Amino acid sequence: MMLVPEVLAILILNLIFALFSLIAFVLAVRIFFKWDLNATTKLQYSLEKQSFLTATIIKYIFAIKLPLFLFFIFTLDNISDLLTGAMCAAGVVDATEYGTYLFILKIINIYLFGFWLVLHYLDIKSKELKYTKIKFGFFIIIFLLFLIELILESIMFNSIDIDKMVSCCGTLYSSSATSYISNIFLIQTPILLSLFYGNFLLIVLFYYLKQKELFSLVNLFFIIISLISLILFFGTYIYELPTHHCPFCFLQKDYYYVGYLIYTLLFIGTFNGLIAGFINDKQRVKKAYKFSLVFNLLFLLLVSAYPIIYYIRNGTWL
Amino acid sequence: MIKEKINLYLIQYAINAILRQKSKNFFILNIFILLTFLLTSIFFISNSIKYELNSTVEALPQITVQKIKAGKSYDMDTSVVDNILTITGVTDAVARVWGYYYFENVGVNFTIVGLDTYENQYKKSFENIVKKFDINELSENSSMIVGQGVYESFKKGYYLQNYFNFIKPDGSIKKLAIAGTFNSDIQLESNDVIIMSKENVREIFDINEDKTTDIVVKVANPEEIDTIAQKIKLMYPDTRVVTSEDFKVSYQNIFNYKSGIFLTIFIISLFTFFMIIYDKSSGLSSEEKREIGILKAIGWTIDDVLKEKFYESFIISFLAYMIGIISAFAFVYLFQAPLLREVFVGYSELKTTFELPFVFNFQTLFLVFFLSVPVYIAATIIPSWRTATLETDEVIR
Amino acid sequence: MIKLENVTKIYEINKEHCVTALENINLEFKEGELIVLKGASGSGKSTILSLIAALSKPTSGEVIVDNNRISKLPDNFAALYRRKNIGFIFQKYNLIPTLSVKDNILLPLVPTNPDEKEALEKLNQVMEKFDISHKQNIIVRNLSGGEQQRVAIARAHINDPKIIIADEPTANLDEKLSLNFIEILKKLKQSNKTIIVATHDPLFFNLDFVDKIIEIKNGTIGDSDK
Repeated sequence: MMLVPEVLAILILNLIFALFSLIAFVLAVRIFFKWDLNATTKLQYSLEKQSFLTATIIKYIFAIKLPLFLFFIFTLDNISDLLTGAMCAAGVVDATEYGTYLFILKIINIYLFGFWLVLHYLDIKSKELKYTKIKFGFFIIIFLLFLIELILESIMFNSIDIDKMVSCCGTLYSSSATSYISNIFLIQTPILLSLFYGNFLLIVLFYYLKQKELFSLVNLFFIIISLISLILFFGTYIYELPTHHCPFCFLQKDYYYVGYLIYTLLFIGTFNGLIAGFINDKQRVKKAYKFSLVFNLLFLLLVSAYPIIYYIRNGTWL
Repeated sequence: MIKEKINLYLIQYAINAILRQKSKNFFILNIFILLTFLLTSIFFISNSIKYELNSTVEALPQITVQKIKAGKSYDMDTSVVDNILTITGVTDAVARVWGYYYFENVGVNFTIVGLDTYENQYKKSFENIVKKFDINELSENSSMIVGQGVYESFKKGYYLQNYFNFIKPDGSIKKLAIAGTFNSDIQLESNDVIIMSKENVREIFDINEDKTTDIVVKVANPEEIDTIAQKIKLMYPDTRVVTSEDFKVSYQNIFNYKSGIFLTIFIISLFTFFMIIYDKSSGLSSEEKREIGILKAIGWTIDDVLKEKFYESFIISFLAYMIGIISAFAFVYLFQAPLLREVFVGYSELKTTFELPFVFNFQTLFLVFFLSVPVYIAATIIPSWRTATLETDEVIR
Repeated sequence: MIKLENVTKIYEINKEHCVTALENINLEFKEGELIVLKGASGSGKSTILSLIAALSKPTSGEVIVDNNRISKLPDNFAALYRRKNIGFIFQKYNLIPTLSVKDNILLPLVPTNPDEKEALEKLNQVMEKFDISHKQNIIVRNLSGGEQQRVAIARAHINDPKIIIADEPTANLDEKLSLNFIEILKKLKQSNKTIIVATHDPLFFNLDFVDKIIEIKNGTIGDSDK
């Protein structure tokens, strides 16, 4: 059991989240089934009041969840010192069978909470509160996933065994790994890069054509292709080591914590790209388009800078 | 993402609102400060001690061999050293002569260590001492070198002169002059240590020429430590063979155990804290209700009221957090954490007068933040919401 | 421009006990009119004011202001409507006693995070109009009754609302201050604002600049004069 204070802090906050999200869930269910804006009954009035409570709770959870996620990664990094074999967060994630799923789920949930908030702000902008039912129905799904995340996190921390040897990211993220990760190493670099930059060009294309749905779609792909390119190609230039493919190590101090910046840019860019496809509010969509393009571009420039600078300095590629 | 300019008007109003409820908010502020202060202090102290301890462990001998008889440690033959040296992988084995001397007047134990000029010292600090002071001279002049803490103890026990009378097992006195004091980089350790020649140690504790207290072994390849330790154990089944890894783990365990207790206490107090906050923020005087009624009547939305309440909570909690941290800094590093440190360092008999080194960790600050501010704000969510959704028209009649 | 169509308002105190504050009321006010709602406490006149200010929602019927149905507006829209269109003058002024005159008057604008210059402009305009500029930094509880009254009226005007609502404005005032208030009311009438005053103070029943006096009795409309 990993009872370092950091983990305890995360677990305490998770408990608070669980409690409050449960309250929000109960209210959301009531609102989803009984909401009728035109009714003048006491029930409707109390539902209207309660929708404020639910929204506040969700905003609170999201506001804390974001920095907590960064803190989570930071904690994983620190725990890695205590586990034999782990040199960065990757080792800790791999230490249990839940680690990877937890991580992916956390990221998905951040996107989902973000979507909910966008939906919420659109909802209160309209006089008929047209998204209220959908909003709360959506939250019911989010709640279930969130609950799974909290439970998974507790189980994961509980089951980390200090004495068990874990793989270092060097073996995890290499072609010799036995997991599905090794499959991505079969992709040739030129194909990979053309997919990556090509995907971005598609983003630009659909931006100008103002095709919302396609714009969202290519953003979704962009998440996947970016992560793969980071692992296979760009990461190696950050580390200046052709065999170092780990997506976690560049979150550490040695690389000036650039990982946090890289992932944040990618998140903001793709998040906005994804919501562009689902919203009808013209103003919001315009904003989403812009943000998506700008942040995806920044992401692209940042990660491309590393190989380019390397080439300029050393006159050769890795 | 919606970016809004920070509403200074609202912040101003929030500050004013906080001041309007002076006594209630002052009370909450103080509890919160106390909590963050205690928490941060505990973390700071434990960080510092961990740092000290880790430095200590680095300097520990890789393998220590002690003879055990009837569960207690006993002097062993010096000849054992030669046998250990025959094991492959062992680069050095040193017979140590040392012991604890109980100074009754002050009620503390000193660690008396015997050094020999011509031996390889197993610790860097001892190497430095041997370079600095000539042990042979010490032996010739019947003198010793003491750690700073020892010197202080002597003074407390009213030995104001530069010598000390050791009482030998047979009751006679061995007088040694104090040739100097030392402090190694590692304060926890050096505080209670007295260095003298091996001869003198033997004399004070009545240990024979051919006996030694224990043996420390140096190994060429750190990976081999465990194997060699096992070999020694096989050679001498009546010994206890301890490796540096073992020390590290046991230190860590005592450490974590103590931290664990504190954290448990903390969780309980956090819960109480949550309840208090909830209770305090729930109670609304008719005055407060009227205020909210006025605000809503003149055009504030429920979200505006919620925002304002949030600003209030955040200002109070953040202020408390900052004050708590800064006080903790002062308490631990300027005043050296009186009282609180005793709880951690309890197992050393000598009241260690070491200085807590300044160890700064961003992580600790974030940790305390996450353990305090979000909890406080969570406690205010429901009360704030209740306030914001009050029925206006009944209130302003 | 203000219409109440078949408005009924029932308060549910608890499961058994219901209070009918208004029953099937129909009212219409034109722009620029000064209307006095006459009636004893509990007659329902305050409820009418609440409904016009979108502070409460009718149990049935419609409230239409300026061709907008405001009866079913969600909270933030209702508050927005209030902020833009309604100036409230309360019985007890309802100022925040520990804030200055300036801060009290600006209060309706605070959540909108206005531009500083703009806010200052509006503030000065309204303070001059009601002759309270010279006391702008004084904490409100240190003012006299008449001055507080002027601050309350100034606050009601900061957004230049179309409708002024006054609920028992002279109930706590002596005769001199009441007459003062009536003078101010006269001035306001000249600026073409729609003014609705709910009161049982007889001073209001014989004024020549009042357009309508409507009597409210037990939730229904009694006789109306003029």
